[in-house]
Amino acid sequence: MQTCDIAAPHTPAIATKTHTASEFQRGVVASIPVMVGFIPFALVLGTNAMQKGFATPEVPLMTGLNFGGGSEFAAVELWGSPPVILAIVAITFLVNSRHLIMGAALAPHLRHLPKWKALPALFLMCDESWAIGLADTQHRKSSGLFPAFSLPYYLGLSLCLYATWVIFTAAGAFLGPRLGDIRSYGFDMAFPAVFLVLLRGMWKGLRPALPWLVSLAVAITTYRLIPGAWYLPAGAAAGVAFACWNTKSPS
Amino acid sequence: MNSTTLITIGAMAAVTYLTRVGGYLFLRNRELGARTKAVLEAAPGCVLIAVIAPEFASGNPADLIALGVTLLAATRLSLLPTVLIAVATAGLLRHAAHFTGGS
Repeated sequence: MQTCDIAAPHTPAIATKTHTASEFQRGVVASIPVMVGFIPFALVLGTNAMQKGFATPEVPLMTGLNFGGGSEFAAVELWGSPPVILAIVAITFLVNSRHLIMGAALAPHLRHLPKWKALPALFLMCDESWAIGLADTQHRKSSGLFPAFSLPYYLGLSLCLYATWVIFTAAGAFLGPRLGDIRSYGFDMAFPAVFLVLLRGMWKGLRPALPWLVSLAVAITTYRLIPGAWYLPAGAAAGVAFACWNTKSPS
Repeated sequence: MNSTTLITIGAMAAVTYLTRVGGYLFLRNRELGARTKAVLEAAPGCVLIAVIAPEFASGNPADLIALGVTLLAATRLSLLPTVLIAVATAGLLRHAAHFTGGS
């Protein structure tokens, strides 16, 4: 382990290395609260997949290659023997289409990175790593730090979440039905908690938050009326469309 | 492992990765107009709140109270305490509802 104050004249290379390590570590620490929510869900997903006829190694294969919890729950729900490929791929796209908006929102902050770094980094983008990474970017930007988007911070955060997800979905597949109903312990409330704290961080007053309310209202209505995962893209698209329309009109 | 499963998993992974890089590749080298910027500023919140919308649509009083407590905690505490309060409140209220014969 390196400490910052050993030698007086830092060579730039060592200074950069220390900086990268501490930024990575900061990302690891930031991932801890989210793990509280990830672990029980991963165990449940692994268990459900086994009940639908997955072979044990297929569970970490899916969660490691796809790495999108919502789409994996939906896929397992639809799974049969043999699985209907087209239906599963379509629902996967539907649930994950929000990544298109998320990647677009991140794009302006990734300009300092070459494509060969940005494209693998985006493989690890999930709701939480994206939102926490973006919140950190905005924080660094307002403190005058460059680059505002800290790649080692993002990697520390997202690699920990990725490893947690793959390891604990595999554990769920092994342990299977010995786990009870985790919902009764309240762990599912960890997700709204994480997201609400992130939303508070983005809060800039009621007017800029109007698109969120549109998104929420449309998502709730869609959720009540149409079964499946439509509420998610419908809500997000409605909120974004409202934001677009709202800026066009003079304020 | 059977081949249909492997193909399905491979296709899921490909589609998901395309959604992850699609927005980035599209906007990477573009100059952003005022409206695009406004949209990108609003987008994160819209996505996050849509993800948790089903919680707000719950008909279970224990869940709604727990969500209210979580919302309150989220406005004044940092991430970890909020998560712990949320999980504890939801767990306790559901057990209480169970023992008092509620849903």
